[in-house]
Amino acid sequence: MRTALVFHPRYLLHEQSREHPERRERLSYTIDQVREEGLFDHPLITNLTPAEAPWDAAARVHIPEYLHFLEEASKKGGFIDFDTSIPPGLLSSALLAAGGAIRAADAVISGEAVNAFALVRPPGHHARPGTGAGFCYLNNIAIMTRHVQEKGIRRVMILDWDAHHGDGTQQIFYDDPSVLFTSIHQWPFYPGSGSVDEIGSGDGEGFTANMPVPAGTGDESYHYLFDCVIAPLAREFSPDLIAISAGQDNHFTDPLTGLALTARGYAELMKKAVLLAETLCGGRLVAVLEGGYSVEGGLPYTNLGIIAAMAGLDLSNIREPEAYHGWLVRAMDPSAHAKVKEHAAALRANLSPYWSCFE
Amino acid sequence: MLIGMDVGGTNTDIAMVDDEVTSVKVPNTLGVRQVLGRIRRPGRLAVSTSTPLNRVLAGPPMKVQTILIPGPGLSWPGSIRGAINHRGEVVESIDREEVDAALSVRGDVLAVAGKFSVRNPSLEQEVAARALHHYPEEKIAVSHHLGALNFPGRVATTRLNAKIRETVTLLAKEIGAEYRDFFFFKGDAGLIPPDQAVRNPSVLYRSSAAAVALGAFYLSGIAECLVVDVGGTTTDLVPLSGGRPVMETLVSDNERTVTTAVAAQSIPYGGDSLIEGRLCPTRVGNAIAFGGDRPTLTDALNVTGCGIGDAAASRKITPSTAFEVLEEYYSRVSRAVAMHGVRRLVGSGYLAPFLVPEIARRTGTFVTIPPHWDCANAVGVAISRVSLTLHARFDSGRGVVVFNGEPQELRKMGDEEAVLERCKEEVRQRALAAGADPRDVEDVEVLSFHAYDVIRGAYRSARIADVVVQIAPGITAEAP
Repeated sequence: MRTALVFHPRYLLHEQSREHPERRERLSYTIDQVREEGLFDHPLITNLTPAEAPWDAAARVHIPEYLHFLEEASKKGGFIDFDTSIPPGLLSSALLAAGGAIRAADAVISGEAVNAFALVRPPGHHARPGTGAGFCYLNNIAIMTRHVQEKGIRRVMILDWDAHHGDGTQQIFYDDPSVLFTSIHQWPFYPGSGSVDEIGSGDGEGFTANMPVPAGTGDESYHYLFDCVIAPLAREFSPDLIAISAGQDNHFTDPLTGLALTARGYAELMKKAVLLAETLCGGRLVAVLEGGYSVEGGLPYTNLGIIAAMAGLDLSNIREPEAYHGWLVRAMDPSAHAKVKEHAAALRANLSPYWSCFE
Repeated sequence: MLIGMDVGGTNTDIAMVDDEVTSVKVPNTLGVRQVLGRIRRPGRLAVSTSTPLNRVLAGPPMKVQTILIPGPGLSWPGSIRGAINHRGEVVESIDREEVDAALSVRGDVLAVAGKFSVRNPSLEQEVAARALHHYPEEKIAVSHHLGALNFPGRVATTRLNAKIRETVTLLAKEIGAEYRDFFFFKGDAGLIPPDQAVRNPSVLYRSSAAAVALGAFYLSGIAECLVVDVGGTTTDLVPLSGGRPVMETLVSDNERTVTTAVAAQSIPYGGDSLIEGRLCPTRVGNAIAFGGDRPTLTDALNVTGCGIGDAAASRKITPSTAFEVLEEYYSRVSRAVAMHGVRRLVGSGYLAPFLVPEIARRTGTFVTIPPHWDCANAVGVAISRVSLTLHARFDSGRGVVVFNGEPQELRKMGDEEAVLERCKEEVRQRALAAGADPRDVEDVEVLSFHAYDVIRGAYRSARIADVVVQIAPGITAEAP
């Protein structure tokens, strides 16, 4: 099978509170769109149902004190920060999300599918070894990465394109040269980290690459960064698997962020990632859903575009309704691209001692 | 009195069920009116009619014009402008000139399908209305009544419906002229009123196999088995599990539809299969024992000692030919039966007592030939019950509830329990209005339920619920 979709009806149920941005409604329209497009019933696509990640898998990333805290707080509810409270039953939901990322990776490693997309909730990339943050509890993509390394995959490249910097994931792999962490994110912005100067430490020095972009950044800049930073790094690093922290909050309709990526832009970006994986690692690519809060206006179109690109389908009609055009024009900042290039140049300079492609 | 009628390839089987079962077999050449005239009794009539539909599809190829309104998303050939979004809002309108230009390239029949039309049928309806200048209504099929999300599946179903809609419309009129209230028997073994069959005739596919399955279960009481139905042209294998036939998605022109029908395997040999040196998978007429000119499998049985019809007339074939063709039949069917890995066979069809015991012996299975084995299909049709599926979408923000693709005003939504109760009551009322026995609508199954808040600007602005409920197919409480 070409592409696996990992989904569980319980991914629609987690909710910190009824009004929270990371709520049930978030994925409901996406699932509607995917169902209506017939992708749950498509000859190139297989549907996989995940199980909760085992405790040991989570413990490869998170400290036992934090896991026990989550376990306790999940009984009656608890609190991490103002964005991230713990509703009763949370640990089970969070383990099921991490289990979704693991199920996607297992499908790709076993050859059940060439690539896989885990449509999980709650998201994970802000979760650090000792705490959750920013709507995240367990770091799904990090748990998945450690899981595949346990199974013999040596080098993993992570591309985190969520609008927010993947600070949790960065911290987990900061001194680890077996994981190349790359991130494109709005900056300055929550959580505040992710400058071009954060490039890893110890053995991992040079294995973290941050591409901060200003508000108003659109398709052109994302593709520029992919072609000039991500692809050359990937070729030199030569990963055994590419993992994507797929946050869909760069879309121009997202209410929490200020970026201007389109559904088609997302789809073409994923198409490039798929081609890169085909060239470098037998197509092995695992995408894990992170943020994305334009629940109704953006997510159905972006998630569909990503799945279509993974399955190699025609992307020519991946778009938003025509009435969105004015919205896009308002979200774009024509001056953003120059700043993106400036940051990219600084990053390449910072990384040049470690990577011959940037010399 | 429950009356069941299964229109087959050559004959129509009719069963009348009250305290006892009586049956008649009438040649189709008489025509529907004459066939119905043979019943001449008051009662509830149900009709299974998959064989005539198969003939429409096997006939001269029909050119299906397909107009699609996919909007943003995956690409489709034959698309026109216009889009409904996932909320059911019109986000791009139709270009009437484009529609008229598309319609000027005429086909034999027309299929119209739009993405998310099940949440708002207005664009499909607009196109269909303009198409009335080019096609009669019974040659136009639309997709919103199908209720389920799955645009490619609805496109395939609508194309199939476009091909057979006219035939089913005519049949409904013809039968309706004799019996004002009657039901069609579906390929999932349930009954629906004729107006629903006309809107979505794809549900009538495989109804003969479904009839055999339900009838065999009713007559034998055996819930886990493989029904082996020996007909004139084919031998059909229909697995039963928990007393219900196993269901699968209907495939038409290699495309998956949104319709489910019983899983059945058809082997192209039956009692009327021609013997021409060997057993041929064709029917040219009756067996010699029943007045035909050329020998068939039935005549071979007679030569080996069975007394079916005018057995003496069958002697035109030699015993060695008879044994050879029977051997071929047994080995083919036994091979297919063995693949199912079941422990028990139930035989039905006129020749079942002559052929099925040997198949059981060869496959190491137990066999039951129930009473009225020769009209199990028509009995199955007779004792079935009304079965309806309701796809409901509540959207308090738009103030709309959509039942099977038809929007209504939503005044008050209520909590989850109220939503669920409303759906159950709606499907019950629809079934009762169609003529269901009140005892048959007591159990409503909830096939799916999902509800969530719509948040705008950090406030709850609306609530959405998607519900699918069903009165499952089964045996009516009216059956003795």
